[in-house]
Amino acid sequence: MSANRGESARMQSGGRPQMIPVGGGKGGVGKTFVVANLAVALARLGHRVVAVDADLEGANLHTCIGVAQPRVSLADYVAHREDDLGKLLLDSRIPNLQIIAATRSNLATPQPAHGRRVQLIKELRRLPVDIVLLDLGAGTHSAVMDYFMVSDDGLLVIAPEPTSVENAYGFLRSAFYRRLRLAMASHDVRELVTFAMDECNERGIRTPLDLLREVEAIDPAQGSRFVETMRTFRPRLLINDVRTADDVKLGFSVKSICRRYFGIEADYLGYVSHDDRVRRSVRSRRPLVDLAPRSDAALYLGRVARKLGDFLPDTEADE
Amino acid sequence: MKPLTDLDHYEVLEISRGSSPEGVARGYQLSMATYSDDSMAGYSVFEPGDAAAMRERIETAYRVLADSDSRRAYDAALAAVRREEPELAAPPHPDPATVLAEIEPVEAFDEDSDEFDGPRLRRSRLSRGLEIDDVAGVTKVNPTYLRFLEEERFPDLPARVYVRGFLMAYASAVGLEPRAVAVSYLERFDGALQGGKGAGRRR
Repeated sequence: MSANRGESARMQSGGRPQMIPVGGGKGGVGKTFVVANLAVALARLGHRVVAVDADLEGANLHTCIGVAQPRVSLADYVAHREDDLGKLLLDSRIPNLQIIAATRSNLATPQPAHGRRVQLIKELRRLPVDIVLLDLGAGTHSAVMDYFMVSDDGLLVIAPEPTSVENAYGFLRSAFYRRLRLAMASHDVRELVTFAMDECNERGIRTPLDLLREVEAIDPAQGSRFVETMRTFRPRLLINDVRTADDVKLGFSVKSICRRYFGIEADYLGYVSHDDRVRRSVRSRRPLVDLAPRSDAALYLGRVARKLGDFLPDTEADE
Repeated sequence: MKPLTDLDHYEVLEISRGSSPEGVARGYQLSMATYSDDSMAGYSVFEPGDAAAMRERIETAYRVLADSDSRRAYDAALAAVRREEPELAAPPHPDPATVLAEIEPVEAFDEDSDEFDGPRLRRSRLSRGLEIDDVAGVTKVNPTYLRFLEEERFPDLPARVYVRGFLMAYASAVGLEPRAVAVSYLERFDGALQGGKGAGRRR
């Protein structure tokens, strides 16, 4: 299907793809379902999309999108069997949409070493497409967090359950402190951030505000850098499987608490309503936006996709 | 990031200074949900007593801002503080809370079409933060029938004339144009019932 790789009207001249990592902390909140459907919806909007399954220990993005038995996968890259990411791209049934699967990984060492991960991210940024969606695994392991850090405004999928919300906070705070640590130039300040990441730390650093005061005490110049790093982190929240109006409000509440208690400015991107057809879509290995495009959940997903598309640099230029 | 104790009434409700009365009400509704005793978002974060204390401040903020006279007086007082201590006026960063401004894009579902089906009624309801029981309370329509409307269980609904009444009531409760909703929905209703056996049971 060479048409897939044809010139897209939206190709940013010499531009790099927009990286959209999708995490959630907790498993089972619908990350893969969301990635699969957003990928299809974005492709339908005319963007050239690559959806990457970065969940080497629980790969099933290919199933949700409907690509059976991938012959190559990210595992080949991890194991150095293949160095050219372009050769891992698999066509899907949907024009403009290709995927990189994560099947057949080495069960002993599924995750790439840090250096290989850095290289992988670099290569992903070079893919000649408009959008790269990354489906992350559960947890806050550095193998997951590194992918989430590929952009300032990664997407967080939350289910309206206390456990999901709790893990989402853990995930965001982990991402936040990692960013801060990376941004700090001085060794002492970096050490301090590492120290503060322990929630039971003895100095009583509980919030970024506490930490900022300590940083300024050590090195005032680093303080402003710290503030700037805080400011540029804008994760986006998506509430999945919404059943009630209270579930809708959850997004606002999480946003509010992130701001007030963790110093994190998150955006509430939208929600996806509960739909019985979601299960049917997974079972039939067809994305919901394809199987039941007029279903409620598909409409919500389409709306989120349009919002994501609007964030692309070429349409954002006029601010 | 501002310490909670420093928030003014607008920041407590997370609304902008120029917020409309509806915006104030919506801010109140959302803030109370965040700090409710069974708040899913807050339970792992709040210390004991946090939520109750915050609810009190939300109530106070709402009392002051919901009344146009007291709001005007409060605005004047805020402006005076701002003149005296300019550095207090602009919180260092990030921007002051404007949750409501950001609600709009979420709410503005691009549904310009004049076709209204059950799911669309439900979407409108959810986007206004209303549960079925809220709508039932306003419309005095049995919540079961409201649910049937949303789920398009046409054969389970009563006679057409009642359905029309339910639709008009539902629509105005969720801020839709009642007549347009009734006309469009009844078309589906009629079509499904003529089409015979349970065509409306799509789920």
